[in-house]
Amino acid sequence: MVAALRRTPPVLMIVSLAVGLAACWSTGTLFGVLAPLSALFLNARSYWLLAVWIGLLIAFAASALAALFYPGAIREAALSLGALVAVAACIGLLLVPAPLRRGNHSAVPRRPEPGKPEGFGPVPAHGAIHPDDRAAIAHAAAYAFWTGVPQVTGYRLRQPDGSYHWTELRAEPGYGVSVDVDAMVSRPDDRWSVAESLGTTMEAVKAAKVIESLHGKAWAFDAMGRFTYVTPAAQVAIDMALEDLNRRLGEREFIDGGEAGWMRGVHPDDVDRAASTLRHCLKTGEPWNIEYRMLRATGQYVWHRISARPTRDDDGQITGWFGTSIDIDVYKKTEAALRAREQHLEQLIDTVPAMIWSMTGAGHPVYLNRRMMEVTGATTETVTAPDGSLTLKRMIHPDFLEQAERTFARSVTTGEPYAIKYLQHRADGTYRWTETRAEALRDEAGQIIRWYGVSVDIHDLITTQTELHLRKQELTRLVDLVPSFLWRLTPTGAPNFFNRRFIDFLGLDEGSLEQPQTEQYAAALKAAVHPDDAARVWAGLKDCLSSGRPFAMRYRLRRHDGVYRWMDGRAEPLLDEDGSIIQWHGLSHDVDDQLRVEEALRESERSLRQLVETLPALIYCAAPNGEPIYRSEKLREFLGFGLGDKDEEGKTRLTGTLDAIIHPDDLPDVKERYAHSLATGSPYAMKHRLRRADGDYRWVETRTAAMRNAEGEVIQWNGICFEIEDQVRAQEALTLTQERLARAAQAASLAELSASIAHEVNQPLAAVVANSHACQRWLTSDPPNLERAQKTVERIIRDANSAADVVGRVRALFRQTVEARSFWQLDTILHEARDLMLEEATRRRIRIEIDVEPGLPPLALDHIQIQQVLVNLIRNGLEAMEPTQRGALHIRSMRAGDLIRTEVRDTGAGISALEKVFEPFFSTKSNGMGMGLAISRTIIESHGGRLWAEDNQPSGATFIFTLPAEAKADHDR
Amino acid sequence: MIVDDTIVFIVDDDEALREALGELLEANGVRSALFQSAGDYIGADKPDLPACLILDVELPDINGLELQRQIAREDHPPIVFITGHGDIPSSVRAIKHGAVDFLTKPFSDTALMAAIGSAIAQDRETRAKRAEVALLRQRYQELSPREREVLPLVVSGLLNKQAAAELGISEVTLQIHRRNVMQKMAASSLADLVRIAERLAIPIQHSRRMGGI
Repeated sequence: MVAALRRTPPVLMIVSLAVGLAACWSTGTLFGVLAPLSALFLNARSYWLLAVWIGLLIAFAASALAALFYPGAIREAALSLGALVAVAACIGLLLVPAPLRRGNHSAVPRRPEPGKPEGFGPVPAHGAIHPDDRAAIAHAAAYAFWTGVPQVTGYRLRQPDGSYHWTELRAEPGYGVSVDVDAMVSRPDDRWSVAESLGTTMEAVKAAKVIESLHGKAWAFDAMGRFTYVTPAAQVAIDMALEDLNRRLGEREFIDGGEAGWMRGVHPDDVDRAASTLRHCLKTGEPWNIEYRMLRATGQYVWHRISARPTRDDDGQITGWFGTSIDIDVYKKTEAALRAREQHLEQLIDTVPAMIWSMTGAGHPVYLNRRMMEVTGATTETVTAPDGSLTLKRMIHPDFLEQAERTFARSVTTGEPYAIKYLQHRADGTYRWTETRAEALRDEAGQIIRWYGVSVDIHDLITTQTELHLRKQELTRLVDLVPSFLWRLTPTGAPNFFNRRFIDFLGLDEGSLEQPQTEQYAAALKAAVHPDDAARVWAGLKDCLSSGRPFAMRYRLRRHDGVYRWMDGRAEPLLDEDGSIIQWHGLSHDVDDQLRVEEALRESERSLRQLVETLPALIYCAAPNGEPIYRSEKLREFLGFGLGDKDEEGKTRLTGTLDAIIHPDDLPDVKERYAHSLATGSPYAMKHRLRRADGDYRWVETRTAAMRNAEGEVIQWNGICFEIEDQVRAQEALTLTQERLARAAQAASLAELSASIAHEVNQPLAAVVANSHACQRWLTSDPPNLERAQKTVERIIRDANSAADVVGRVRALFRQTVEARSFWQLDTILHEARDLMLEEATRRRIRIEIDVEPGLPPLALDHIQIQQVLVNLIRNGLEAMEPTQRGALHIRSMRAGDLIRTEVRDTGAGISALEKVFEPFFSTKSNGMGMGLAISRTIIESHGGRLWAEDNQPSGATFIFTLPAEAKADHDR
Repeated sequence: MIVDDTIVFIVDDDEALREALGELLEANGVRSALFQSAGDYIGADKPDLPACLILDVELPDINGLELQRQIAREDHPPIVFITGHGDIPSSVRAIKHGAVDFLTKPFSDTALMAAIGSAIAQDRETRAKRAEVALLRQRYQELSPREREVLPLVVSGLLNKQAAAELGISEVTLQIHRRNVMQKMAASSLADLVRIAERLAIPIQHSRRMGGI
């Protein structure tokens, strides 16, 4: 109903309503309502009509029922309503068929369905078409069907009243362009006219008629642009009669720039162009060719191509114009649609993120999409060789060029699609990985007509892939090359990965590494674990698997050659977020060599320790500061206590130990020497008495040396201690013997010396004696040979003198000579002399103490001689002290003005004759030669010093010698 | 008065003493030749006379005792050692090796002259013996080879037949050889021949008993 309302023209509705209301009001009956209802019926369609009918029937039934049951006014009203309804229905019934029939004219041209060439669908039945137009229609329809080219055909359609109306039919493939033919339908009120007078345009009209006979549409206008003839159908189509066309709308004539009526029928965008060109043509006589949109009677603008040519009289004066217009709307729209489609396609091609190109079947490039040109910087020209074929030189990296060209050539020859990955040259000069695929488009004969290709940048992909590949390779290599065995277990303990080394170690088959060979691995592992370790390993592993604790164990694994190697196996679980175990990652390290080394090391250490412990020596170690840190078993046994047993308050362990174990007489010396060694790092060697566990002091020789690190710092002191009690006793005895021997040797050498002297002297003496005897003979002979006697006497004198010379030479032999002297520090010589006499002193239990004033200058002296003097004085002192026991011999050296004064002080018996001791052959000792002090004095005096003796209080003697210090000055100068 | 039939060689490196000794000997009438070293002495052309060598123990080239040892095998005059300082082992050794005396310097002329006298007397005797042996050796050289074979067998005391059997000849032939040997060796008796053989140091190789068995 609403649709019907909408369909009904408003004027009709208003008029009918007004009439109805007026009737109702003036007559007082409901019949007035019929007017609007009938108007509705007039425009109602299908279901709505049916509904209205049903409504009317229901209303009628209701009125009848009301009339039956209700008396009085109601019955009256019901009767009149029923009558009204009945009348309305009747009127409606009469009126309805007309609009229903009109619905048949609404037809949308459609492409005829294949196989039904005769039907032509919406094309009006033959009977409705004017007989003259039937052939053209059929031809156009057939043409459209076979070619798909849109057809516009005008024909005369018979109207219900028997007259013919011009109708235009467009037939086109379903490109989406459609023209509502309905709008082309002529109306009964179509207006068209013919000019009363053709004027000068007779020629033009004639020409127009000719054209009309050809094209069905033509027109003519005069030199001023006023239409004199327009094909009536055209007038109808644009709903403009000649008058309308020529109507002047402004003050000026069209030719003078005014607006003519026809211009109303031109699309506003085109009108100015159309008018100005026409005016121009009218003035110049140039042919008028133009395309513009014309307003159709249907209210639509349709593209037309308009052409007009002037006709001229004999004078060449333009007499009129004739022309035609062709409907090119379909073409225009198709073209626009095509263009849009093409543009769309082009956009599509250009926006697709790929490089798209095509070439001919022969391989000549024809198209590159914009992206391709932008990206690669190539154009169709750059990829085309002079002969038109494809050249890839500027597109592809030289390394891939040959391969690409080969592939391309093969594809072009065989027609196979090709795909190739290569490094493509880019506009910025770089090369990027690109994949190009191309396929051939073939015609029906199978001939290649086009190659279409697409190139996709896969650089990142390739790079990533390469990188990934490399990383994977790297990782694989790492896993395989790492000098350990890597493995992986499932949470249940089944191995599912062994690295290459492990596989090689176990001697497993190569197999396929990709897929886990759990069973094989498990079996191999089970077989490889040493039977002695198996129980322990599997139990440990099981425990770890169940508890999730890391696995760490050492066990033996059998290598492929059957050798068991010690492994240090470790595994840790990989947990997911929930903390449950995903996998176990394990590592086994071959520690066999290490273990063997360790074993060997342990063995060597043990044997070394055993060696140290069993050596028949007392061995100890001390920290750099001297604190004892180790004592061998023998030493502990000897001392009867261990390292910390003698720790006391207020004493270091060293002091405590030394106090406890060193003989009190040796203690100061030991401490001094030990402290010296600790301070300087020099080795320490000393003989002293050591307290044994049973309290007995035994002589030992202690030697300590520093163990240093690479930097030379002392890190430990290692010492060894031999018990030399017997040796010392033996040594003492030996020394005594030696001394005796030495004295004997001294005597022997004296004898030898005297023998030598005697020989030297005897020789001339023998000559003297012999000569004397000879002389005697000559004198006693008869007669005495005085001459010979004289000669022999001369010889006697000579030989006696010779003997005297010998004696003189011997004396000279004993005289001290000044040797080349060098500068020496006196305390150096003192210590040397002390060291020389140390054994002697130790044997006599006498300490030798040296006290040298610091800063004494070096002295120019004969080192050996001074040493001899000192040894002599020390020996004298020691021998003098022998009876007193356990004394000390003090040696002091100090500056005394220009002299360096050295004293050797003993605590012996002293000297009774202080000067006599210096005389040769004076000795207080039973076995002495009596030469020592005499020689010493000679030596000291030869050095420009003095040697004398003094008595000590209360006992002992002091020998003092001085040496001049100015020698240093000489030296300095 | 110089006695010319003897000579004393003096080897001493000390010129004074050498001269003195020469003077002393000359004063005593003894002829002397002086040498300053052992080398000079060995290389010198010495007269073949009864002589005596006065040798200093200490010599510049070789020790006197060593020289004594070297010339021991030769026919050399007896040695009188002189020394600056005589020690007992040297003197003992010198005497054991045949030195006449060992004098320590300085020595008296009497001791020296006595030693020289004794030495020259000894040399005289030695030279006589040496002459006799030379004569015997010359005679021995005149024996035929077979006679030289026969001689030791005869002096060994073998019976003629034993000696003949030993040589594989007849007893008669042996007797002829034996007679020739006696004749050529100017032996007056078998005992004389035995003494000659002894002087010639012909070894006695066989005993009579050996042949009998």
